[in-house]
Amino acid sequence: MHSFLRLSFLLLEFFVAGISYATDAPQSDPADPGVEGSAIDKAAKEKSDGGGSAFSAWESKYFASDPDNVGPAVKQPIEFPHFRHAGDHDKGGMEINCMYCHTYARRSLVAGIPPVQKCIGCHQSIDSVRDKPRIKKLFAYWDAKKAIPWKKVHDLPDFVRFSHERHIQRFIFQLNRPVQEVCGYCHGDVKTMTVARRQKLLSMGFCVTCHEINHPVTAPGGTPIGNQAYWYGMRKPVIGASGILKAQGPNDCSVCHK
Amino acid sequence: MSISTLFENYSEFRHRHPDGDVPHNPYKWAMAIDLDACSGCNACSVACYAENNLPVVGKEKFAHGQAMHWMRIERYWDQDGREFPDRGARYLPMLCQQCEAAPCETVCPVGATNHTPDGLNSQIYNRCIGSRYCSSNCPYKVRYFNWYDYPTTDNVWPAEMNMQLNPDVTVRSKGVMEKCTFCIQRIRGAEIDAKTQGRLVRDDGELQTACQQACPTSAISFGNLVDPESKVHKQWRAQQVDLDKHEQVKDEEEGGTDLRGYRIYEFLAPYPSIMYLERVRESEI
Amino acid sequence: MLKSDFDRRDFLKVLGWGGTAVALTGCGNGMVESGKETVVSYVETSDYMIPSISVYFNSTCAQCDAGCSITGRIREGRVLKLEGNPESAINRGKTCGLGQAGVQNHYNPDRIRAPLLRTGDSGEAITWEKAYALIDEKLKGVSGNEVAFLTGGMSGHLKVLLGNYMDSIGSKNHFAYEAIGPAVVRAANKKSYGVEMPRFNISKARVVLSFGADFLGAWVSPVNFSQQYAQFRKGAGGHQRGVLVQVESKMTITGANADRWLVVRPGTEGILALGIINALGAHGVKMSGDIAAAVKGYDKDRVSKDTGVSGEQIEKIVVLLKERTPSLVLAGSAAEGYAHGSQNAAAINLLNQVLGNVGKTVEAAAVVPFPQMAPATGNTAALKALNDGLSAGKYKVLFSYGANPVFTSPAAMKFKDNMAKAGFKVVFAQYLDETALQADLVLPLDSALEDWGTQVPEYMAEGAQINIQQPLMEKLHADTRGMGNILLALVKQRRAAEYKPFDDYYGYLRAAVLQNKAALGGAHQADNDIFWNETLSKGIIKLDGAQHASLSVKSGAAGLSLPEPSAIDAQYPLQLIPSVNASLRDGRNTNQPWLQESPDPLTTIVWDSWVEIHPKKAAELGIVEGDIVEVSSKSGSLKVQAYIFPGIHPDAISIPLGRGHEAMGRYAKGYGVNPFQILDMVYDKETGELALHETRVKISKTGERVIVVKDEGPVGGNQEGQKIVPLMATDKANLSKEI
Repeated sequence: MHSFLRLSFLLLEFFVAGISYATDAPQSDPADPGVEGSAIDKAAKEKSDGGGSAFSAWESKYFASDPDNVGPAVKQPIEFPHFRHAGDHDKGGMEINCMYCHTYARRSLVAGIPPVQKCIGCHQSIDSVRDKPRIKKLFAYWDAKKAIPWKKVHDLPDFVRFSHERHIQRFIFQLNRPVQEVCGYCHGDVKTMTVARRQKLLSMGFCVTCHEINHPVTAPGGTPIGNQAYWYGMRKPVIGASGILKAQGPNDCSVCHK
Repeated sequence: MSISTLFENYSEFRHRHPDGDVPHNPYKWAMAIDLDACSGCNACSVACYAENNLPVVGKEKFAHGQAMHWMRIERYWDQDGREFPDRGARYLPMLCQQCEAAPCETVCPVGATNHTPDGLNSQIYNRCIGSRYCSSNCPYKVRYFNWYDYPTTDNVWPAEMNMQLNPDVTVRSKGVMEKCTFCIQRIRGAEIDAKTQGRLVRDDGELQTACQQACPTSAISFGNLVDPESKVHKQWRAQQVDLDKHEQVKDEEEGGTDLRGYRIYEFLAPYPSIMYLERVRESEI
Repeated sequence: MLKSDFDRRDFLKVLGWGGTAVALTGCGNGMVESGKETVVSYVETSDYMIPSISVYFNSTCAQCDAGCSITGRIREGRVLKLEGNPESAINRGKTCGLGQAGVQNHYNPDRIRAPLLRTGDSGEAITWEKAYALIDEKLKGVSGNEVAFLTGGMSGHLKVLLGNYMDSIGSKNHFAYEAIGPAVVRAANKKSYGVEMPRFNISKARVVLSFGADFLGAWVSPVNFSQQYAQFRKGAGGHQRGVLVQVESKMTITGANADRWLVVRPGTEGILALGIINALGAHGVKMSGDIAAAVKGYDKDRVSKDTGVSGEQIEKIVVLLKERTPSLVLAGSAAEGYAHGSQNAAAINLLNQVLGNVGKTVEAAAVVPFPQMAPATGNTAALKALNDGLSAGKYKVLFSYGANPVFTSPAAMKFKDNMAKAGFKVVFAQYLDETALQADLVLPLDSALEDWGTQVPEYMAEGAQINIQQPLMEKLHADTRGMGNILLALVKQRRAAEYKPFDDYYGYLRAAVLQNKAALGGAHQADNDIFWNETLSKGIIKLDGAQHASLSVKSGAAGLSLPEPSAIDAQYPLQLIPSVNASLRDGRNTNQPWLQESPDPLTTIVWDSWVEIHPKKAAELGIVEGDIVEVSSKSGSLKVQAYIFPGIHPDAISIPLGRGHEAMGRYAKGYGVNPFQILDMVYDKETGELALHETRVKISKTGERVIVVKDEGPVGGNQEGQKIVPLMATDKANLSKEI
């Protein structure tokens, strides 16, 4: 029985090697010590520039037509101006931290839509915009004690387990990257939008592109970054040219697929 | 594993059993089930229905062998021709044994079932194409196939009943093979918490499978086999059952012959991750 | 687990919107539809409410009366799963399959959603105001004696409130009815030990001799007993592994786990008990003169002849009982179900006394110091009394809550016809079951996971406790009501001034608990709100200083008279044993599909009824598995598939209770047969309880045959030589080194 199993195992490998649709993301140089944020962007960019065979016809179609807006324009009950709340000061924004409103992101699977209470918390003392139509609408919901029926913009299939918490913990709290940059990896440049529109593919290939990039897990000299002591589900760490220990994101199917 | 690494590095992910190259670290999930404590009451099985969105198939489909009980209680009688079963029945909770060299994994044409680094035999539902080879090759018959689209079948999850569905577990559709994965949603949840807090999953009830949590006689223990402090590890040690052997050499000098630990169909060398403890009967009555 | 500093009622209000919205998302099997689905959002939230993070609330399981404490997992406003609450001494974090299915009772699609008033053959939905007004109107001009209130077992504040309502209408006709409760054993215990329900210390016993007590299945408090059983098997406290001997005529799940399962001729359990006492005497065990005299005639030969248990086997049991102490002897439902059931139970209890177990493994339980909340346990004598009254046209208004007598009474009792004699019948129910269909007014109840309540369990494990039941989520249906709220509204019709301070049952409960704060362990806590929230958070009020009842042992030997085993009736040669399945019990839970599909532990049959026949008898009658046979008693007959089962006395057959509904819902209606219907009306001579095992039947083939739908394979429980479940004898095993 034992040898039979081994045989079938070998046969499978043969079978696998013989088919050609196995694809590979562009490999980033593991020795490249460059700034990690840009490395991710670079890799993602390479992909979105049509980095070859990694794309299905479905994906390519979307990219060819509008590389910055792959999702549909979603009509929301209130046209929420993200650029006003989160945009840069010099462009009239208030640079509010994403997590001020999307408060669940750091501790939950989902980022969460703020309760109406949160909007009112600020807006009840901002008289200058009180008579604007959008704010009137907001107060109408509040007075009726009705939740605002926001439409989903970033949706994942039901068989995918994506944890905002893990990504926020890792990139914002352990690697100290800017919040808007980290959220932007998947959500794009929301701070320039009114209502959010999906800018990234959020397909499995999109996720894997990132997970295949080596992230530093130690500072130079081997000091671990953050309190992440275990590397379960990740590829074996490699030592980069600068002596920084690096590892890839989890790459086991069952980490993301439920 | 991702699709790109799956085909390229398959052997790296296929753990026959822990060896030097691919040790289980830091987790290897395993079970011990005490058949002397198990009363065959079925609480584990119902708890599994509740946790894992198992469809109730109804009488007709049950008759066709299409029941979806990932955890089932098998009942055996002594076969010595006595008029009455005066030694009682024998009960066995049968669930996926999470084999280390799983016969099901090798035959999947699309790599939908494969081994995780923490020693589970995972089933990726959206990848499954329903060839059912895995089920044919499973010696324990613990893989269940969706012959119908249960979410849209009458009276499986009618309105309101569907509100009970666990959002952490996919509701499988027609043509997909499904099985027990030691409540992988609970495992991943506990692992995420532990990782964020910079520690390992503790062996103090932080992580329990649904069947273990319900079991009124606490017959099921579940935990991390590579953690020397875990109950499961200690039980396996005390019973001299090794994960990576398919014939257990029990030490006679240390009383190995009166130990109860065994694994089912060990001789087939699937290296199952569940150790059972033999049922005991009093000899003086 | 749960912060206690928030207002529970706001929590429920806030969740209202999210509760329904989430149902649409997160659990479908659809694909991505950006911009189509609505995302979960709230008007207001509390800090502890985070989407995708579960919160847990403690409550009490209402699937049976054992009173296990549960913890509900709630996500986005929906209760998803029930677990045991580890803080409860009764179930210590564990649940049975029946308890797990509690969510299916709550989310059941067949629940009644509005008050229904009979117009001809159909029900018309009416408002609650109209329903209450109607009850008020119908009670006018009716004297209290003409009103009857039927309930199941009841305890806690609901019982108090019902008592006050009955008082307010001047009625003393409260009938507490349980179709399969251990009523005879309770009465026998009262006589033997001075209390109806002592604590049984299975875990401390080294030998358990059980006469048909299915304590791992459906008897009294199975989850508590199962845990004790596990400790008993492991040999707690440095002892050897405990030995279980089960004596019964039809194997129960407890029998299936016994070291020795002894099949006895039905009804001779008491004779065997006396035979064992007699043999213990011969082995030098000291006993009082009256006991010795009472068992004098029960020598081994006679007992062996009467019961069918060999003298050799009796000898082995006696040696074991004598050598391994303490032991524990249990009298269960199989022993009590006869016309001489009380005598059987008394003889079995006597054995405990002779063995010196009383005070060791049979202990007095702690008592909740509020007698008005103590459980009113139900029995079948109450139903008989009600039925007699209805038959005589004594009652003009009948209320029914928590019982389904039309389904659970023998057809010969004619309860359905007698019920019709009451002019106005009000049934409080979750489903349109057989009894609700006979009502003039049906009032829909909240599920146990939506309602408030308190419960005092009949069987107390360590220490006394009062269980709290609280909503785990927003109500599913706007027009259902909790029984507490209904009773409060009804009692307000009579005593408006007295109950004016209480807006609803929640307010009543809160006030009642706070009024007794000191007695309920809150003396240290000055702030009422904090104490109340702590109480809800725990879900249990533990009464550490509670008094224990005292046992008063009386030798029941003097009054003992056991009949000779009855001769076989030529016309009806077989004894019918209606068996109680741990999941389906008396049929109140049959509409929960997980339970229908959960295989019976002995036969592995699902979704249907069966009749168990011993292979020897089957061969004699030419019956094979799947034959549809007609089972007839003096009182009726039914047709059911045959299952050849070795664990039954050849002169007995067994049909499980709980199935055979003609109403109730899609998962219950039309599956199986209802053996209650063919029971003969034979009563226990002392207590007047219906003797469930006293029905004689005959059996004949109809010529039809079906394939039995069961989980065991075609080899029917044969391991085919494989090492699947091996068995180790204790003399070969060494359990001392185990973890």
